[in-house]
Amino acid sequence: MIKVKNLYHSYNNDDVYAVNDISFEIEKGEIFGFLGPSGAGKSTTQNILVGLLQLQQGEVEVAGYDVKHIKDKMFNNIGMSFEQSNVYSKMSGLENLEFYRKLFDVETRDPKELIKLVGLEGNEHIKAGKYSKGMKHRLTFARSMINNPKMWFLDEPTTGLDPSIAAGIKNIIRQENQKGATVFLTTHNMYIADELCDRVAFVVDGKIRLIDSPKALKLKYGQKLVDVEYFNDGQVVKESFSTVDEAEKLRLVEVIKQHDIQTMHTKEATLEEIFIKVTGRGLV
Amino acid sequence: MAIILLVILLFIVPQDFDSKGKEYFYLELPQVVKERYVKNLLEEDLDEHAEVVELEADNVHYEAMLFETEKSKIYLLESKKALEAITNSERVPTAYAHLNTEGQIIYTYFLQGYETQKLQNLLRVYHNRLAGHDVIEAYSDTIPVKRIYEDSAPLNDKENMIPVFLTFNGSLMSLFIIGAYIFLDKSEGIIKAYSVTASSVWHYLLSKIGVIILTSVITTLIITIPIMGTQPNYFMMLIFLITSGFFAASLGLLLTSFYQDIVEAFGAMYVVIIIMIMPNISYFTPSWDPDWIKIIPSYVMLQSFKDIISVGGNMTYVAVASMAFLMVGLGLFVLANYRFKKTLSL
Repeated sequence: MIKVKNLYHSYNNDDVYAVNDISFEIEKGEIFGFLGPSGAGKSTTQNILVGLLQLQQGEVEVAGYDVKHIKDKMFNNIGMSFEQSNVYSKMSGLENLEFYRKLFDVETRDPKELIKLVGLEGNEHIKAGKYSKGMKHRLTFARSMINNPKMWFLDEPTTGLDPSIAAGIKNIIRQENQKGATVFLTTHNMYIADELCDRVAFVVDGKIRLIDSPKALKLKYGQKLVDVEYFNDGQVVKESFSTVDEAEKLRLVEVIKQHDIQTMHTKEATLEEIFIKVTGRGLV
Repeated sequence: MAIILLVILLFIVPQDFDSKGKEYFYLELPQVVKERYVKNLLEEDLDEHAEVVELEADNVHYEAMLFETEKSKIYLLESKKALEAITNSERVPTAYAHLNTEGQIIYTYFLQGYETQKLQNLLRVYHNRLAGHDVIEAYSDTIPVKRIYEDSAPLNDKENMIPVFLTFNGSLMSLFIIGAYIFLDKSEGIIKAYSVTASSVWHYLLSKIGVIILTSVITTLIITIPIMGTQPNYFMMLIFLITSGFFAASLGLLLTSFYQDIVEAFGAMYVVIIIMIMPNISYFTPSWDPDWIKIIPSYVMLQSFKDIISVGGNMTYVAVASMAFLMVGLGLFVLANYRFKKTLSL
């Protein structure tokens, strides 16, 4: 669905690159994530793919179209949700969606259905300028789905949202992906990347450091241990057991049978820990 | 804005401006001669009656006799001191008539320094026995004056203001308002959202122009109909408004494509404003009409609107101007579209 080869971008047309020789591919039906700190080049890459920034150097193909020669009809298959909400503040939420759907040549979704989907029902007739930040973000997100995009670009889809709304957004992304949408999302939130992405690319200083699935990364970089806290003679005892050594596995079963377990955690690494380990930089 | 302009035209701008000049004299002459002067002035006075008025100069009041003729207001002062005071305070040329030792009438003019050499020479000639006032008047009366457009009737001063209002409110405001529209959309980020749709950039730009032209037509009619009634050629007015508005809006689009926000663009827009204002000088001062001012678009707009609202106005001129604005506007629009494709989303 997306092929990027040797992509470079400099904002000042000099040797300082915001995107420095990036190459990757996204398969159809995949949820692919760019994970990295602010200024890593995630949004710059995405903006080049959708034509918001001119392609300076490299080859980019999106949904079969060469980005060097963008055709307007390419956008019938593309949806984009921006990190900064950009809706018409003088129009209501519903009017924004009604207006936006007219800009496409394909069948579009019912704006009222989208309003309900993102939890804005009851507020659809209020001017978007009076919406809270979270409401504007949900409206921007809903707008990005109006043309049933086959290729869906999400720039920090849950930034600034409270956990319940963020959970709703994640569910919607999963549902749309199950219907066939290919998703390319950028985030600096490892939980989003971990929960949603089939594959994730670590991006730092305009370069991709590695690409792999979250599960594979955690298995590769995590410790295969289980930490257990249990009661023994009225005292809390803490022990670690290997999940690969047979003797320790049997010992773990014995502890579980004979004692009251207070807590039990696997010692797999988080994406953030793996990110720091691989890149030497944090996600913030 | 149109309503405000209409109110100004209806209630503030007079039908005809008072353009009479003021002249100040002091006569230090024998009584007989003075009485003859006053008698001549009374004959020219509109109601053949002189008013006694009070003039103020440097906080001192001076009495004077006022004679109002068709072309001027003549104040006859009572002392040389009064004349000198008025000369200094009003900053206008004044005249002092007196006798010399040989009994000849001498006219002394107190000038301000801005008078041209031609005027000074004329004053010297004016009182010359051989080429004096009577000779000049007789000569000028025989000079034939031919009106170029004999079918068109002159507009009164109030009606003469309308082309100015229509040019700026109807056509040139398009240039500035479209910049405001574009920069507002840029600041709200709407343009980015628009850029990732299947609609073309030129659709977006043309939609802005369409709204502005429609507004321009409505506001023009609000100003014109109550003042001019059915006199103007409204069909040509509509054509001209659309084409000149399209030109002005396209120019505005091209200008805004070079800047990120309205603050950056303000300098360039200010220069354009100054250039566009200059033809107004020529419009109100027809004697100042250099060739270079005729290529400024607002000059053509002023003249075209004047022809449109006048009886027997030159519609050929208006039609040609409309066509020119349309062609140039199209060229500017194509350029603006090219610029915006590259820069719209930045």
